[in-house]
Amino acid sequence: MSARDAILARLGPVGDPAVLAAEAAGLLTGEERERPVGGEDLVARFLAQLGQPSVAATHARIGSLAELPGAVAGYLAVEGAEPALWLPPDARVDGLDWAGLTRLADCPIDDGAVLAFARAGVAETGSLVFETSPEAPMLPNFLALRHIVVLEVAALVRWLEDAAPGGAVPRAHYWVTGVSGTTDIEGTYVRGAHGPRFLHVVLVGSPS
Amino acid sequence: MSQDTPSRVALFVTCLVDAMRPRVGFAALRALADAGCAVVVPAAQTCCGQPALNSGDRATATDFARRNVAMLEGYDAIVVPSGSCAGTIRCHYPELLADDPEWAARAEAVAGKTWEILAYLDARGWRPQGVTLPATATYHDSCSGLRELGIKAQPRRLLGAVDGLDLVPLAGEETCCGFGGTFCVKYPAISNAIADEKAAAVEASGAGLLLAGDLGCLMNMAGKLHRRGAEVRAFHTIEVLAGMADGPAIGEDQ
Amino acid sequence: MSRAFDARVDAALADRQLKIAVERTAGTAEAKRGAAIGAWPSFGAARERAAAIKDHVIANLGSYLVQFEASATASGATVHWAETADEACAIVVDICRKAGARSVARSKSMLGEEIGLPHALEAAGIGRVETDLAEHIIQLAGERPSHIIWPAMHKTREQVSALFHARHREPHVEESIVAMAASARRQLRGEMLGADVGISGANFLIADSGQVCTVTNEGNAELSLVPPRVHIVTAGIEKLVPSMDHAVHLLRLLARSATGAALTQYTTFYAGPKRAGDRDGPEEMHIVLVDNGRSAMRDEGLAEMLRCIRCGACMNHCVVFRQIGGHAYGGTYPGPMGSVLTPALDGLAANRDLPNACTMNGKCQEVCPVAIPLPTLLRGWREKSWREGLEPVTLRKGLGLWAWAARRPWVYRTGVRWAIRTMRLAGRGWIAKLPLAGGWTGGRDFPAPAAESFMDRYRKGER
Repeated sequence: MSARDAILARLGPVGDPAVLAAEAAGLLTGEERERPVGGEDLVARFLAQLGQPSVAATHARIGSLAELPGAVAGYLAVEGAEPALWLPPDARVDGLDWAGLTRLADCPIDDGAVLAFARAGVAETGSLVFETSPEAPMLPNFLALRHIVVLEVAALVRWLEDAAPGGAVPRAHYWVTGVSGTTDIEGTYVRGAHGPRFLHVVLVGSPS
Repeated sequence: MSQDTPSRVALFVTCLVDAMRPRVGFAALRALADAGCAVVVPAAQTCCGQPALNSGDRATATDFARRNVAMLEGYDAIVVPSGSCAGTIRCHYPELLADDPEWAARAEAVAGKTWEILAYLDARGWRPQGVTLPATATYHDSCSGLRELGIKAQPRRLLGAVDGLDLVPLAGEETCCGFGGTFCVKYPAISNAIADEKAAAVEASGAGLLLAGDLGCLMNMAGKLHRRGAEVRAFHTIEVLAGMADGPAIGEDQ
Repeated sequence: MSRAFDARVDAALADRQLKIAVERTAGTAEAKRGAAIGAWPSFGAARERAAAIKDHVIANLGSYLVQFEASATASGATVHWAETADEACAIVVDICRKAGARSVARSKSMLGEEIGLPHALEAAGIGRVETDLAEHIIQLAGERPSHIIWPAMHKTREQVSALFHARHREPHVEESIVAMAASARRQLRGEMLGADVGISGANFLIADSGQVCTVTNEGNAELSLVPPRVHIVTAGIEKLVPSMDHAVHLLRLLARSATGAALTQYTTFYAGPKRAGDRDGPEEMHIVLVDNGRSAMRDEGLAEMLRCIRCGACMNHCVVFRQIGGHAYGGTYPGPMGSVLTPALDGLAANRDLPNACTMNGKCQEVCPVAIPLPTLLRGWREKSWREGLEPVTLRKGLGLWAWAARRPWVYRTGVRWAIRTMRLAGRGWIAKLPLAGGWTGGRDFPAPAAESFMDRYRKGER
């Protein structure tokens, strides 16, 4: 008998998927669905969560994508960082004027800055939601010292559940809720353990 | 439950109080009488069976559960000056006898009317009258009482009615003192290390008196405090409420 | 009371550095969790729901495994099944060999520790880079994890500093925790990005989508799993959840219970290998579903233990763990959850101390985010140990004698009188040394009993 058969034999007969699905869905319904926060303004909640010590992200607001290069340049200047960054192979960056900023051909692997577009933002936790695609490689978001994330106000959702992929499941669906941190030495929090030490969110658009 | 229904109450004094500190039992009698209860001390009582229960000897623990259920089921209420012994009767007897058709319901019935004494007095609305104790005290929440029976506010409410008594907070008041019944015998070194931290917290509270609702925990903490040379004296809470805190504290010649 | 356990406990209690290290991390975790849960008024209801979700999955585990296998396979992953630890390791080693792997990057997984994967890789001659900072420390020190969230909890900063100075290419100059972390970052960067295979555990396996969820705060999982050609997941079969929404509910509890944060910094759901046009990601993804005693646990009274989401709150809040640290437990998993799991995984006879070395104070159950009745499960092991005659004969005889007497009130009262007299021979107030109670009086004074028992005085009419 294969290991698979032996394990499944011990666990008993396989049930009707429809019945199981209904039962499972029932476990998540009801008024008492316990979620941690209430219903204040999405943008306010999101920005407040970005400021939590475990997230500790900075942010800037811009009206439209056209202002993005300026906002990025401004952030890097204030931080005293080099005016250079790696941009993803996303059509949205191509139409913008990046003059004054050096576009790096390769993603920096231990310093520097990378920019990424978040698919959504979650007000509940201050999480930024990403999905892999040919236009959105994953590794750069974990390599550079500065992670600059562009998020449309319209893409804000209230709960983590609302951020789940709507259609086909992407190869990787991931939530970034802060920077690479560790408390592995005496419980002391250190930023930049392996990946980004700084997270900067550029929020695009005004609240509707 | 109202104050003017005199109940026929059984006092289950516990084996530790019986052998080590009878004053706790007499304090319980005094407070219960003051609260209008007709108290009986069933003569056949010995122990709730907790040593067997916690050692894994389920057969013996179940036997004690049957004996005690039979002994106690005729009373209106069973009152116990210990959270852990009351917890054994209230929470564990029904578990032990759940599969016994003859005894399950009887165990549930006894469990339903078994009370830790401070919770019982508080629920009756009783408060100590004219008891004065000019002292600063701190309170340790014994684990079984706290987590099995939800005893937290009751002792503080009762002690709040003692004139002159100032209750100060204890850091880690809900942290186990390391007694653990048979644990302190089986693993004395770990027990001792836990007790040491508890004693340090009691000393840091600045209180002159340490109060709790379980004699085992009190003996453990007081014994550690004394070994450390601390001046803190320890009493069972019911002794204070019955106006008996003018007598010898735990470890002072009774 | 076994000698091996006693020796480990004595060594731990004598180690002041250990006490300091455990207190610093567990104390911080306790405070942060307290603040997070305090700010979530419906925590109690949320954890009941979490328990219900896990119970539903455990009751229907076979169905969910089959569903997960189908959806993970559809995503392009290969699903393997292992009944035992050895089988699981053999599958992983085989995949590594077929991939021609010289080095693997491993992202911390307690299941990997449980099945002995680090050792199996070493035995197969495959280089291993532990990428979690704490696991890196442990690997350098040649030790085992002492905590499931903070594997290097037993190490003080001074000890870590000495280790890094001895073993890192470019160790830190400034003596600070920040500088030490930077030293590890420099050391690990190249090794991590050059690995042929990335190995992780799973925090959740999503049945309906085939996704594998990992959570880290360091981002080391993603750095370990995206660059290599092959990603291998080893996961216990109890990690299943019906859907992402169910996982979300559990994630809220997991992060708060472990570190007090609303969510881990990096929460990733992987589904299969690299797709057409993707610029990164592994070419192969393998998922090894490991039983290793879990299906038996479900049917032998430990089903509730399979709810565990490995947050570590029970150990952070355990008075025994806080004194002796994780290594004294001797198994992969320490603390209360370990004391339930280790006898199931490694046998009761060699581990009967674990369920006994507990004060039954109930704090672990109070903080557990999935409401596992840990004291009840520990008591279950004590009962099995008693039934199987594993408890020491002195305890059995002593308890037997006590029970015999306590069933006979007259005999019992005589015994109490005798005991009182004997104890009072040793002293009248505080007793500093009591024969047969050296364990107590070694560190505490013992209060002498009153001259006469309550029952005797009551019988004589005293009120």
